[in-house]
Amino acid sequence: MTDAIQTRSLCYRASEHFEVTDLALTVPAGAVYGFLGPNGSGKTTTIRLLLGLLRPRSGEITVLGSPMPAATPSVLARVGYVPERPHIYPSLTVAEAMRFHAAFHRRWDSAWATALAATFQLRSDARVGSLSKGEMGKLMMLLALAQRPELLVLDEPTDGLDPVVRRDMLESVLGYVAEHGATVFISSHLVHELERICDWVGVMDRGRLVAELPMQTFKDGIKRLHVAGAAGDMANAPFVVLKRDRSDAAAEQWIVRGWEPGMQSYIEGAGATVREVVDLDLEDGFVEMLRAARTPTTTEV
Amino acid sequence: MFRAILATQWKWSRGMLLASTCLAFALPLLSMRAADRALAESDARLLLGAVQSFGMFYALCAALIGLLVAATAWTSDHSGRHVYALSLPVERWRYVAMRFGAGATTLGAPLLALTLGALVAIASVELPAGLHAHPFALALRFALAMLLAYAVFFAIASGTKRTAGILLAVLGAIILFEVTGEIIGIRASPFLWFIERVMDGRGLFGVFNSRWMLIDV
Repeated sequence: MTDAIQTRSLCYRASEHFEVTDLALTVPAGAVYGFLGPNGSGKTTTIRLLLGLLRPRSGEITVLGSPMPAATPSVLARVGYVPERPHIYPSLTVAEAMRFHAAFHRRWDSAWATALAATFQLRSDARVGSLSKGEMGKLMMLLALAQRPELLVLDEPTDGLDPVVRRDMLESVLGYVAEHGATVFISSHLVHELERICDWVGVMDRGRLVAELPMQTFKDGIKRLHVAGAAGDMANAPFVVLKRDRSDAAAEQWIVRGWEPGMQSYIEGAGATVREVVDLDLEDGFVEMLRAARTPTTTEV
Repeated sequence: MFRAILATQWKWSRGMLLASTCLAFALPLLSMRAADRALAESDARLLLGAVQSFGMFYALCAALIGLLVAATAWTSDHSGRHVYALSLPVERWRYVAMRFGAGATTLGAPLLALTLGALVAIASVELPAGLHAHPFALALRFALAMLLAYAVFFAIASGTKRTAGILLAVLGAIILFEVTGEIIGIRASPFLWFIERVMDGRGLFGVFNSRWMLIDV
């Protein structure tokens, strides 16, 4: 098995105003895959589709080699899931929540769960409903990790948490990945958070997958170019022009993706000159990519 | 898995179950208390009348316990929009069956209390000639009524807001129909017709409408 998650032509209609369209995701086994997108872009819906919580209208989903939603129970036994909102029964204590969860997972590691509870400073007699946001996040992460999953699906796991808790949680995930070689599928709208930990990135916007590529390629390939002269149509260029702005009468600013050293010659061949190539940080690249995706004239992003 | 679900069900409903268990234990004793005079006079006819008039309290108690246990079975899942239950590695039908089974198991406490209460109640009185005590038949009837009420309310409580909306809409339509019928002089009541059908001896809810007799001939 080379891919932990694969979807083909996946469609789901959530409402009249929102649908996931023709989604083709590929998450390599062992990858830490960052699923980026603004709020409301369809990340949570996609995750629920992947886990069999929602039924797709059409398309194929394969998770850990099994078709979804047909194989939902057996796949969920191998997947640790941290949802966007707390979902654990609030009237239970931390210890009861752990016992309840353990009863459903054969690979539950009690010793490690206890150790994680100590690391996360979770009191076993504390009621789940009385936990702070950070403690709740830690408890959900504990439950997902202690079941020893092959795939961790984390839906905005650190959203709204303070930096210390955020770091604790991400470190526990990375520690687990390093030890067990598990795959992580983590959604977020916090670009910098994913930049540090992910080796693949998929970008969602308005129910569509806008881009999917290795993080390094994404980071390295997004550039701002200062171009002098009038270059013609760039539709067949080896890079993707996300944006072209005229900065003055004789020059333009371009935002490009997939840029590699030596590509200036292509622009020069089109009658213009590259004056400067500026690195963009990931967030700028992400924002420009979304803007380009939302511009009707952009045919490819 | 079932034990874990049973533990949560117990946690969510134990206060209510304790009160129900006390009530179920007290009912047969109270029914004998209501028949004090008939017992003192050893009047069989009066005793049967008193016992029969108390019967509806058993039916009401069974329905109430079924309703409350069913409601607690789903409350926590509803509050989390069922995400947790759906993300557990178990088939949906199996989860629902276990949830149902856990609630049904907890009904054992009030049932046992009613049986014990009935045994204590009949042990403390001397029955007039020709009358017999039926504690186990009463307990069986109580068990069936509780289970039926629990099953119906469990099914209703498991539904979404949409299901509740549909049920309310149907109820509203029936009421509207009856009010309109009353105004234009048509004396047809589908609601009453329906209630009569399901509550008569052969109807689905016939058990509630039958004789709840701790003491009978």
